[in-house]
Amino acid sequence: MEEAVVLEKKLQSARSPKSSSELKRRLWKNKLLYIMILPGLLYFVVFKYLPMYGLIISFQNYKPYKGISGSDWVGFEHFKRLFTEPDFLNILTNTLILFGMNLLFFFPIPIVLALMLNEVRSSAFKRTIQTMVYIPHFMSWVIIVSISYVMLTMDGGIINELVSMLGMNKINFLLSPEWFRPTYIMQVIWREAGWGTIIYLAAIASIDPTQYEAARIDGAGRLRQVWHITLPAIRSVIIILLILKIGDVLELGFEHVYLLLNSMNRSVAEIIDTYVYTAGLQQGQFSYSAAVGFFKSFIGLVLVMLANKLAKKMGEDGVY
Amino acid sequence: MVEDRSLSGRTFSIVNYVLLAIIGIVTMLPFVHVLAGSFTTSAEMAIKKFVLIPTEWSLDAYRFIFSTDTLFRAMTVSIGVTLFGTLFSMFITSLMAYGLSRKDLDGRRFFMFMVVFTMLFSGGLIPTFLVVKELGLIDTYASLVLPVTISAFNLIILRNFFQNIPEGLEESAKIDGCNDFGILFRIVLPLSLPAIATVSLFYAVTYWNTYMHAILYLDSSYKWPIQVLLRQIVVLASGMDSGASFDGEVPPPDQSVKMAVIVVATLPILCVYPFLQKHFAKGALLGSIKG
Amino acid sequence: MKKKSVPLLLSVMMISTLMLAACSSDGGKTTNTGSTGTEGNKPAASEGTKEEASENEAPAEITIMLPLNIAETPPDTIKNELEKLTNTKLTYNFFPADTYEEKLNASFATGSLPQVTYLKNQATFLNLKEAIRDGEFWEIGPYLSEYENLSKLKEQVLNNTKVDGKLYTLYIGRPLARQGVIYRKDWADKLGLPEPKTTEELFEMMKQFTENDPDGDGQKNTVGLADRNDLVYGAFKTLSSYFQTPNNWGEKDGQLLPEFMFDEYVQTMDYVKKIREAGYMNQDFAATSKTDQINLFTSGKAGVYIGSMQDVSTLDKDLTKNVPTAVTDVNSLITGPSGKYGIWALPGYNNVVVFPKSAIKDEAELKKVLAFFDKQMTPEASNLMFWGIEGTHYEVIDGKAKEMDDKDKIEREVKGFKDSVIGEVETNGRYDGYYSLPSRIKAEELIITNEQHAIHDPTAPLDSATYTEKGLQLQDIITDATYKYIYGQIDKAGFDQAIETWKSRGGSQIIEEFNAAYKK
Repeated sequence: MEEAVVLEKKLQSARSPKSSSELKRRLWKNKLLYIMILPGLLYFVVFKYLPMYGLIISFQNYKPYKGISGSDWVGFEHFKRLFTEPDFLNILTNTLILFGMNLLFFFPIPIVLALMLNEVRSSAFKRTIQTMVYIPHFMSWVIIVSISYVMLTMDGGIINELVSMLGMNKINFLLSPEWFRPTYIMQVIWREAGWGTIIYLAAIASIDPTQYEAARIDGAGRLRQVWHITLPAIRSVIIILLILKIGDVLELGFEHVYLLLNSMNRSVAEIIDTYVYTAGLQQGQFSYSAAVGFFKSFIGLVLVMLANKLAKKMGEDGVY
Repeated sequence: MVEDRSLSGRTFSIVNYVLLAIIGIVTMLPFVHVLAGSFTTSAEMAIKKFVLIPTEWSLDAYRFIFSTDTLFRAMTVSIGVTLFGTLFSMFITSLMAYGLSRKDLDGRRFFMFMVVFTMLFSGGLIPTFLVVKELGLIDTYASLVLPVTISAFNLIILRNFFQNIPEGLEESAKIDGCNDFGILFRIVLPLSLPAIATVSLFYAVTYWNTYMHAILYLDSSYKWPIQVLLRQIVVLASGMDSGASFDGEVPPPDQSVKMAVIVVATLPILCVYPFLQKHFAKGALLGSIKG
Repeated sequence: MKKKSVPLLLSVMMISTLMLAACSSDGGKTTNTGSTGTEGNKPAASEGTKEEASENEAPAEITIMLPLNIAETPPDTIKNELEKLTNTKLTYNFFPADTYEEKLNASFATGSLPQVTYLKNQATFLNLKEAIRDGEFWEIGPYLSEYENLSKLKEQVLNNTKVDGKLYTLYIGRPLARQGVIYRKDWADKLGLPEPKTTEELFEMMKQFTENDPDGDGQKNTVGLADRNDLVYGAFKTLSSYFQTPNNWGEKDGQLLPEFMFDEYVQTMDYVKKIREAGYMNQDFAATSKTDQINLFTSGKAGVYIGSMQDVSTLDKDLTKNVPTAVTDVNSLITGPSGKYGIWALPGYNNVVVFPKSAIKDEAELKKVLAFFDKQMTPEASNLMFWGIEGTHYEVIDGKAKEMDDKDKIEREVKGFKDSVIGEVETNGRYDGYYSLPSRIKAEELIITNEQHAIHDPTAPLDSATYTEKGLQLQDIITDATYKYIYGQIDKAGFDQAIETWKSRGGSQIIEEFNAAYKK
């Protein structure tokens, strides 16, 4: 009988954990924590949320000298313009395909690279390779694209010279639509793979080494150890980065693509950002570019929310 | 690192080493080219196009750059902003990340959602500019730090690391009489050195790369950080700005000068990571759990 | 919170600038009374202003915002001299050229544009026209006649910068037509080729430069033409002029039509296509940047460069570093099948200055600013800003200015101001450049000759609402089609298809609007 009452009470507090006195107690217990997050919250409110009223310009015909209060309201006109743009589907597809390639080909590489680096015993070798591999991240796209030009051009570029020496036809890397995507993703991998390893290496560094010992004793080979110990340990980092990457689905690194874009490969290279640059920004149409940005953000948000929910369902930590 | 002397273990190692070496060399190529180009004459650059080892050594490019004090000034600004900015950002971010990593903090999910939301939606250049202006930050160095104090991405990463710290540690610390600040500074931070080093690096790189904000918020050109100087030279030369209004008026600068500026602007930040790598030494502190 | 304080801030700014204005207009009051009836008082008023300026007035304080086209902002060397010459106290705010528009817009949005605002180029000017129409800037047209030097500005160019028939800007002048052909004379001599005077001869030159080993090294490593990914400032548009294609727009059957609807445009495409297919130019030109194009020429690989003839100085300098025996030459008087010569012309300016009403509170202040520009248009001031200080940066030889040897010093101290000089040689009286390179001297002469054969763009002073909204975007359709045609990916039918697409997506409206404006 007594047990039932105690159980009943426990169930009650479990069922309604937000009962007023419970809540107050917890808030007071965590008061220091709230103080801790206060400066950060202040930052977000002042520098991120206060300017958010600027999103309104997506629904206006904004002119800088008129200001937001002075510019006319146009509702969804800009969105209509975007969706009825004859090339819209093509541009959207291009963006999605590049994103897909990014996810499929680029995303796993820093993980694999980090795992490989982790398996290196000589710390001198490890440190050297680590440094070498993350240097390209500091080269701006302008430099990387111009170096690629020198290497890939049909007019005497090294790669094409090799190709013709092997008896094949020269490859039009820079201009042909077929080679745009491979060139793009190779450059992304080249530049960012090394940089991406940093975060995974940090996660791996937190693994308890005794786990490996135990596995060794149990007879597990190197690959098995990686699969059963290293990978699971960095799983939460991988998931978080994956969710955040999904939020960037329509956001593709404008500068890079813009430098590679030309009249010949436009059918595959025109992405949302380059389109907006010509159609919007270059012609001083802030509202249009803002509206397109709004569209991108909206899709990104929906996907992040979905991805986060999925992750939580699978028992992982989400981003929120 | 646990040793594995078996044949399969050794093959694994060798393959690993070789692959990594190849990857390392391939990724280094563009930088070697830039480095080599900075030490040669632009004549050689034009002829050989892709120089890896200069046949004609020359320090002309560097002499040209260092002949004014503009580079030094910009460098000083960049170093100052990066150092101070990184420290400041790490401080505020760590506090917030730790607070939000505590699972029993009410409103946690709401706050995190707020943070994530800002990664996707932004009010835009001009509204943010207006806020900065009203706070009286225009033309101050603070305008290069305050508006970017916290990177949502870094916050999320740091929070994730803090979340993965075993709860048992905090329990015992609380029993020992530590308050939340104590736990953070005495237990959690020392254990999170790899994460701290990583996020600090991320902040440092972002601060070092400050460009757009400098242009917008700073009116006095003597306050410009180094990336502004760098971009002026490199982007102008590549002709990306082909409004071509100055066709033929301003000749593109010496190729090797371009390279030298890149080296000088990138080298300092390149050195930061190896320096931080020391703090990636792992495991030793985790032994405290057992004890 | 936001919305309330912006107007407050603006009011504070307005009041403080008003106070400033109050101080400076005291000195100007005596001159103002004379200026309301400009025509009758013209001689008296301008004399009065000059005398007052040099005797009674305190230096006018002027803040100037302009793009920075070199690496570093210049020190005050030139500025100090300029202040003495013009009796002003100047603050020059330079901002990097490639992000200048963002800065311009941010300043505009916060009402913080200074009294003198330089734009960046013609494109920025176009974007600003609506703001101009809405009265954000001073109309300076009526005042120009009061100023001796400002009135010298070229009528035609001023017309090109008018908005709805009214003048709001001063312009930075540029030669009308600088495009031409730069080629390797030593190669031509070796192969017995004459100076190319027709498109046929030019083609022949490119062919022989590619096939007949002009550098004599026994290897087939040379090519005729080096071009880049720019149909306008690269080779294409210049070549199209040789074929007598109109400049952007031309008249056909009493109507204005875009250049790509003319047969001559197609002829040009065929010409370039032939060159490319035969291998007489760099195959990847659609992806080649200016730097790489220049490299092709200066490394001794390519023999022909079509672009601004003034580039020959830099090209020659770098070329002879690599190939000491190389000799360059230029020509621009090249005729096509029609036998007539023409060359497309710029509107005569590449940038303008506007005067925001938010910074210049009243007419008196405006006049002070205009007075500054008036003094700037004297030989002394123009030379100072363009060439530097005589004896330090340049010397005078034969009545022309020659840069002295310390090129770095010139670059650092003078070059930043160079692109802010109003007018041009004929109007501001500055020295012409003294050149010792024969091909450059010839280039300058040709540039002057070009003016007589200039093909103007009739739509330069006109407006089309659709063009302002999506002209650039639509132009991509044509640009892409042009490249694809040259690369053999589409044929004439395909190109015509592209024109139809251009028309249906807004091109027809643009045609209508320009024609309507033209008829006025």
